[in-house]
This record gives sequence, C-alpha cells and structure tokens, in this order.
Amino acid sequence: MISRPIKEGFRGVARHWAMSLSSAIAVTVTLIIISIVMILSWHLQLFTKDIESSLSISVLVDYDHESDADKQEIRKALEDIDGVKTVTYRSKEEEFEFYISEFDDDIKEAFEPFRDDNPMHEAFYIETDSGDQIETVAAAAKKIDGVWEVNYGGQTTVDLVMAMMGIRRFGGIFVIALSLLAIFLIQNTIKLTIYARQDEITIMRNVGATNGFIRAPFVWEGIITGILGSIIPIGLTVYLYFLLYQTSHGVLFTNMFKLAAPVPFIYYVSGILLVLGILVGLIGSWLSVTRYLRWKR
Amino acid sequence: MIECTHVYKRYNNGKSGTNALYDINVSVGQGEFIYIIGPTGSGKSTLIKLLDGEEVPTKGIVKVVGIDVGSLKGRQVPIYRRNIGVVFQDYKLLPTKTVYENIAYALEVIRMKKPQIRNRTKEIMEVVGLADKGNSFPGQLSGGQQQRVAIARAIANRPKVLIADEPTGNLDPGKSDEIMDLLEKINETYGTTILMVTHDLTLVNKHRKRTVVLEHGHIVADLPEGGYVRHDQ
Repeated sequence: MISRPIKEGFRGVARHWAMSLSSAIAVTVTLIIISIVMILSWHLQLFTKDIESSLSISVLVDYDHESDADKQEIRKALEDIDGVKTVTYRSKEEEFEFYISEFDDDIKEAFEPFRDDNPMHEAFYIETDSGDQIETVAAAAKKIDGVWEVNYGGQTTVDLVMAMMGIRRFGGIFVIALSLLAIFLIQNTIKLTIYARQDEITIMRNVGATNGFIRAPFVWEGIITGILGSIIPIGLTVYLYFLLYQTSHGVLFTNMFKLAAPVPFIYYVSGILLVLGILVGLIGSWLSVTRYLRWKR
Repeated sequence: MIECTHVYKRYNNGKSGTNALYDINVSVGQGEFIYIIGPTGSGKSTLIKLLDGEEVPTKGIVKVVGIDVGSLKGRQVPIYRRNIGVVFQDYKLLPTKTVYENIAYALEVIRMKKPQIRNRTKEIMEVVGLADKGNSFPGQLSGGQQQRVAIARAIANRPKVLIADEPTGNLDPGKSDEIMDLLEKINETYGTTILMVTHDLTLVNKHRKRTVVLEHGHIVADLPEGGYVRHDQ
C-alpha cells in the first residue's frame, strides 16, 4: 500500500509537468545559491579559526616588576580575566632569542652585545577563547599593575575576524529567506494540483478517506519535485568543487586560505542539499494540502 | 438508525442569520426507506450535511448508527463516514478511471486488501447490473448507467445508511424507475436504511414510502405510508 501514494505522486508530477518543472527550477536556483553560501561560509569558518588561533596577546612586564612574586601576581591576574584560555610565560632571555632568530646570521651577530644588557621585557602570551574577545581581554590586561605594554595582532585583524563572522551570519539569513521562497513556490504548484483534483478529493472524503490518505500523494509530489530540483545543484557542486580544488591545489591566494579536502566535505554538502530539497518539497506540499483538508467544524 | 432530536441549524451570514432547520424531530428505523421532499431552500441539503458530518447542528442532537454526529472531532469524521454511503445528482465519478476502478476506489480508500476489493467490486457490479461494463469509462455510459456506478460505489463497503441526494434529478422517467428499482433491491437485499431526497413527486406517488415533507426548515408532514403528495406541497 506504500507504493500507491508514491505512484500517484509521480503521476501528479508528470500530469502538471510544466508547473512541476517551474517549482523544480525554483528549488534548483535556491539550492545552487545555498550551496555557494554553504561552501563559502564553511571556508570562512576555517579561515577565521586559523586566524583566531594565530592571534595572541602579548603582555610585557614593567622593568621594576620583574621579581618572581610580582610575575606570579601578574600571571594570576591575567588568568582571572574573562575569556582567557591560556597564559604562557616567556623570560626576557627567551624573548631575545626569539627576536634575533628572525634575522640572518650576520645581523644576528650585531645583536650579540645586547645579550648581557637585555632590552627585552619579561612577557606573557595570552590565547583567548574566541577572536571577538581579544579587544576586551587586552584592555583588561593593560589595567593590571606592573604591566608595561599590551600588544595584539592589531585592529585590522580583529576587524577581519568580525567581518567574516558578519558574512557568515548574513549568509545564514540569506539561506533561510531563499528556502522560504522555494517553499512558497512549491506550495503554489501543489495548490494548483489540488485544484485540478478537487472532485477526486471530494469523492475521497465522501467515501471516508482519512486526511493522511488524501494528503500522501500530494506530499510525495512535493518531495519528488524537491529531489528533481536538487539533482543539478548537487552535480554542479561536486564537479565545480573538484575542479576548483584540482586547479588551485587546495590553496587560495596564500597558505592561510586552505580549501577543505573534497572527499568527505563534498559528500556532506551534497547530502545537505538533497535533504534541503526534500524538506522544502515536503513542507511546501504539506502546508497547501493541510489548509485544504481542514474540516469546517 | 437515524435520530434527530430538536435539531436547529442556523447559518450566520452577515448580521442576519438564516434558520435553515427549525426544531427537526425525525426517527428512522433500521432498514427503512424514506423520502425527504420539499421545495428548494426548504432545508433538505442542510439536513444531509448534518447527517454526513459536514455540518454541526446549532442545537439538538443528530444521531446516526448510534453516533452523535455533532460531537465528532474533525479527524473522526472520515471514519464515521464509512457508515454511510452518499449518491449525488451529478454522479461525481472520476472520468479517468474505469467503472471497475471507480467502484474499487471506495474500497482502496478505506484500505481494504486487494483480493477482497476484487471480489467485492465484482459482486457489487453484478448487483447494479453492470457486470459487463467493468472496463468502460464513465463518459461511455448513459446517465442511468453512471448513476448505477455511483450507487455501486456508495454501497461497496456495505454502509448501514445510504443517502441519495436527488439521484434521479438528471434522468428521464424510465431511467428514474430503474434507479428506484435498484435502490429498493439494495434496501431489501442488504437491509440498508435509505434516505432519499427528491423533487420527483411522480416517483414519490408511484413508489409509495414514508415521506417527510420539509418547508422553510420545518417538518410540515410525516406520512408513514407515503401516499399522494400534491404538487404544491
């Protein structure tokens, strides 16, 4: 008996093929855009994670607070700031080594005289829980007694992180709006289908068909339309992403922008597109039939 | 089988509502065959809607096969409807399905098993005299034959009550007589309670049965033996 509504659903799609095609195209367009937004947003998340983890705050200790007790106190104060994940200590000797390690050998030698009269500061490096906390943590660190200077990647980096988060949020809203539009279009198609089969529904009701029985073929019609609409977006996504990955060797512009490995990633995206197509079809048809089936009592 | 007790139905359209039915009291026993007659707008259609669960009475109780129809919840109505068959003036057949499929459809809808559907449909086609028309489409049949298909569909799941709403309205007198004979046969063979709404006084006077006369929403006469009904009634 399960096959009846599915068969009827296919028949419905075929009978109103022009309408079905237009809703399927609406789903197709929606899903293509969703696919792009989804891939972009996923990568933005990867990039921001990368950037965020490379962002740390350096806290330099005043020359006259270099005693072990003072340093202990500063460390404790830093750890108590909200949003601080880790605090790492680096002595002024380590700082000096780190500083000169970035130069070529002959320049390194020029710095050697300073080794005994080290101008570097004792330092703490702070990692925050997330990128948007960098500013507040840095401001709080600056107020601690004995802190000489606080540095972080700079306002531009923070702005970049915030912008990426904004884009992701906007992308999400965009995707939801598009899905609603597709649902609306499918709803209208199914409404026409129902209109064409009004007599049949009247008869079904008269001989005692339950709402579920009447609804099933229409819901299947919606689901089939949704699946048809998701074929092209899935094909395009798989083909184009593989192409992009191969031609770019997995890297965009700089090493910082790495593309996700296509193999599990692209299957997830395809799966989500298919599920979205089915859901859009199901919800759209469900809504239009249910409104029609409400009893006048 | 059918029990209407002090039934009122008022439609609220705009400021002034209309009283479609006014203090209706009718009791129809099992296996009875009754006519409901009356001019257009007398409340016949409303009475049918109350009986098949489409509408709820404003006041009073409508009981069919022991079920208080007015108190049913929306999703209980389909199950309730399986107790009653309905035949319409315009047949309401599906033009894209054959005679066999049209009848079997009523059984598929209530999820009867396939072999059972086959047996029952064949049997019913025999009863209504269309055993050789199984593969025809409604468009290939005469009006009388189409109405037979509609009756077959209505009684396919052996309902206890059959409501016929102007079943002969579109037929010439000869064919109307044939439909009457068929309804009488069903009434006798299956003991189905039949409630027939009609305008056709010639038929009412010829095939005499209990007759309820409705006028302006009131029952003005309930003639147990039927009998001659004047054309101005």
